[in-house]
Amino acid sequence: MAYQPKPPAGWIKTNFTYYKHSGSWAWILHRITGLGLTAYIYVHIYALTSLTQGPKAFDDEMKLFSTPVFKVLEWLLFSLVLYHAFNGVRIVLVDWANGARYHKKILTVVYGLGVILFIGMGILMFSAHGSSIVASTK
Amino acid sequence: MKVILRIQRYNPEKDTEPYYQEFTLEAGDDKVRILDLLHEAKWKYDGTLTFRRSCAHGVCGSDGIRINGRNRLACSTLLRDVNYRKPIVIEPLPSTAIIKDLVVDMSDFYKKYEAVKPYLVNNSPPPEHERLQSNEDAEKLFESAKCILCACCTTSCPSSWSDQNYIGPAALLKAYRFAFDTRDDAGDERLDVVDTPDGAWRCHTIFNCVEACPKEINITWHISQLKKRLAQREM
Repeated sequence: MAYQPKPPAGWIKTNFTYYKHSGSWAWILHRITGLGLTAYIYVHIYALTSLTQGPKAFDDEMKLFSTPVFKVLEWLLFSLVLYHAFNGVRIVLVDWANGARYHKKILTVVYGLGVILFIGMGILMFSAHGSSIVASTK
Repeated sequence: MKVILRIQRYNPEKDTEPYYQEFTLEAGDDKVRILDLLHEAKWKYDGTLTFRRSCAHGVCGSDGIRINGRNRLACSTLLRDVNYRKPIVIEPLPSTAIIKDLVVDMSDFYKKYEAVKPYLVNNSPPPEHERLQSNEDAEKLFESAKCILCACCTTSCPSSWSDQNYIGPAALLKAYRFAFDTRDDAGDERLDVVDTPDGAWRCHTIFNCVEACPKEINITWHISQLKKRLAQREM
């Protein structure tokens, strides 16, 4: 009798143990950030339910969200958006342009742009100067 | 120098689960092929060790195995290509039924390969000489025609691991090879086979197939051309 690895245990093990390269990490990160953003949508909708409980409940919640812990979480959320969006463009280029020939170069651009914008957003969110820029736009 | 091969073994007459066995072997230098080491293990230490190989020169595609977690041809992989300071892990191609040791059941792979009609379909009467094609048209097929059907790509694909019905990169590459052949008349008939959720659309552009291919074919690029053609015929 031939030995057949049993799904799903078989493919979960294979997924963990198979050789990883930039393309497979890009796919894994895309899945993880996708799941993270989907989970965030639910948190976001739940947070907005305070609108139904009057202005005070909403203002209290906004005060909580402006604490340093939530600001850092918000910054990390931005990193998920950045990666998922830019890698999404990479996947479109791979499927509809000649991107499959240059996918590693495109991935370098994805990471580079992502890191620059992530740091930029960090400066805007956390430095006194950045906060004043944000305040002046309100 | 001494190298250790840690080989996955499975004897259907005795074992219920595969297990690993280590062989300590003598290698002259780092230019020795993994296939040579497998031969030494079989010929000097354990004659029951079972694996496939035919030409031993990267042409027949029968010795596709998993070396240190990665699908490769044993005959095209030198010691210097892997980390031999630690035991080299040798396993059969992943997510396939194991017949014995490193020999896997390729029936499913060939069934999917045959589904894409891997032959020229031409309804016009045969000419006196061969059916001619321009150099430009032939060049579009050269890369895809290099495939040796070793199954390294299909068995390296996470989409294949999780979806047993996925037709796989090798069959899709072959579909490209004939769908983009100007002499072929099968057209929609062949494209219909790959235009399903288990066909070209199951490719999530992970590039494991490209990394695994011993003939350095950019399979994902060929699948992307198929996807474009499938979308174009809807317009």
